[in-house]
Amino acid sequence: MEKEEIVSRLTPVFRKVFADSTLVITDQLSALDVEKWDSLSHMLLIAEVENEFTIKFKLKDLNKMANVGDMIAIIESKL
Amino acid sequence: MVFTSFNFLVFFPTVLVVYFLLPQKFRWMFLLAASYYFYINIKPVYALLLAGVTLTTYIFTNLIAQTNSEKGKRLYLTLAIVLTLLPLLFFKYFNFVNEGIYSLLNLAGLHLQLPQISLLLPVGISFYTFMALGYTIDVYNEEVEVEKNFGIVALFLSFFPVVMSGPIERASNMFHQFRGKLQFSYEMAVSGLQLMLWGYFMKLALADRLSIYIDAVFKNVDQHVGSSLMLATLMQPIRVYGDLGGYSLIAIGCAKVMGINVIPNFNRPFFATTMSEFWRRWHMSLIKWLTDYVYTPLSFAFRSYGKWGIVIALNLTFIISGAWHGAALNFLVWGFIQGVALSVEMLTRKRKDAFEARFNLSKKWWYIMFGCVFTYLLFAFSLSFGGDAATVPEVLKIMERIFTDSLRLPYKDGDTMLYGFIAFSILFLKDFMEEYYPGRILLFNNKNNTIRWLSYYTVIFLIFYLGIFSGEQFVYFQF
Repeated sequence: MEKEEIVSRLTPVFRKVFADSTLVITDQLSALDVEKWDSLSHMLLIAEVENEFTIKFKLKDLNKMANVGDMIAIIESKL
Repeated sequence: MVFTSFNFLVFFPTVLVVYFLLPQKFRWMFLLAASYYFYINIKPVYALLLAGVTLTTYIFTNLIAQTNSEKGKRLYLTLAIVLTLLPLLFFKYFNFVNEGIYSLLNLAGLHLQLPQISLLLPVGISFYTFMALGYTIDVYNEEVEVEKNFGIVALFLSFFPVVMSGPIERASNMFHQFRGKLQFSYEMAVSGLQLMLWGYFMKLALADRLSIYIDAVFKNVDQHVGSSLMLATLMQPIRVYGDLGGYSLIAIGCAKVMGINVIPNFNRPFFATTMSEFWRRWHMSLIKWLTDYVYTPLSFAFRSYGKWGIVIALNLTFIISGAWHGAALNFLVWGFIQGVALSVEMLTRKRKDAFEARFNLSKKWWYIMFGCVFTYLLFAFSLSFGGDAATVPEVLKIMERIFTDSLRLPYKDGDTMLYGFIAFSILFLKDFMEEYYPGRILLFNNKNNTIRWLSYYTVIFLIFYLGIFSGEQFVYFQF
């Protein structure tokens, strides 16, 4: 899957979880930039992303996600 | 050695002088020696336990790092967690489990004599155990590089400012500082001393003063009217803030004077408008630790249940936190109240946000104040279950008395109330200004020498004038 396709499928997931219909995803985007992105919504996001791509993360993967770019790289590695 | 003891007033300046006189490369070694001296001073035999946990941590983190197979790494991690936790579990829960077995046998008609261990919980055991576990898990998760120098690991786990009650530090924040250039910085030294000064004020002038009233009331619940019980219940959060918050500032300040940055532990907690915000401001290093090593794995395991998975993880995390505070039902109730409050806030957040946006409430001062007061009251209520001698029926009785017997005037202890009130007002004003008008009034950081020194002397004077000097222990030493 191309990176662009991953981004286009991630965008609605992010918008739904953080209830923000204008949210734009970039590699640098992180929890610091989105007000509602805290430890609670983070796990909802993870579960939704897993469903969208039918993949399973490992706990170790989570710790390596400092921003959306990292997340995309990990998704790519699992597809 | 306690921060408020005379010994420490000799120890710390002596350490400072030697530390800065030594060539830079020897400074961490000296800190390690000083830290063990500090710890041995409490009770020599407990230092062996600290050394044991250090050795376990060192060996297993290196094994985890050297092993290539995932299976092997997991095995070493599990072994490390079990071995590191064993002493803490033993000291904390041995008598609890023992009494349980004893009463069960009694019920069954067997009257056996079981061994009782009357050992005090080694001071700081929870804190260095948590730090050791955090480091080990971080190595397993490849979040920090394994440390090959045993001395650095030993210093990390015994570092005297934080060994007794935290802040619960992270390897990722400390190792590079210990390994790097430990040099004198005038700015850090000044800011460290300022933090220490505030810490002593919070502990001696506020926490220990309020303790007099709180203890007088709670040690004789039956003798006191409901309004006294209410007053003492309301004072509890301030007392703990003064105590643990004060301790933390002294710890952070000590480290800072030596050129070492330690993570913060409190951030003006009483200006939180919700419980979730409160827990981002109160005992932050513990919450961060719990979030990373308990809540995250739990919520990850339950993530397929969506929101309810988070509710389960939140409640379990706080119940575990409660059980760590003490092996008794009341601490579990304390944890459960936190878990429920946070779950309710999470589940209703969308609606609350919409409501606030509709009436434009989030910037209104009275709405903010309402949030702060409500959060404070909820925390004060939960904290009455967190006292050491408070069994659940006793707390419920106190609550009942507060609601049925509060029309009479409370027990009056003029000096304590007046001095306590003055100390609290000063701290409240300081926190208030920093929260809402940062940088507006500068006292400790004023460019004018006279104002700066005048503020130092005022706080020193206040510590001596309002403070209690009876060598009170810190509340969190018991954990």
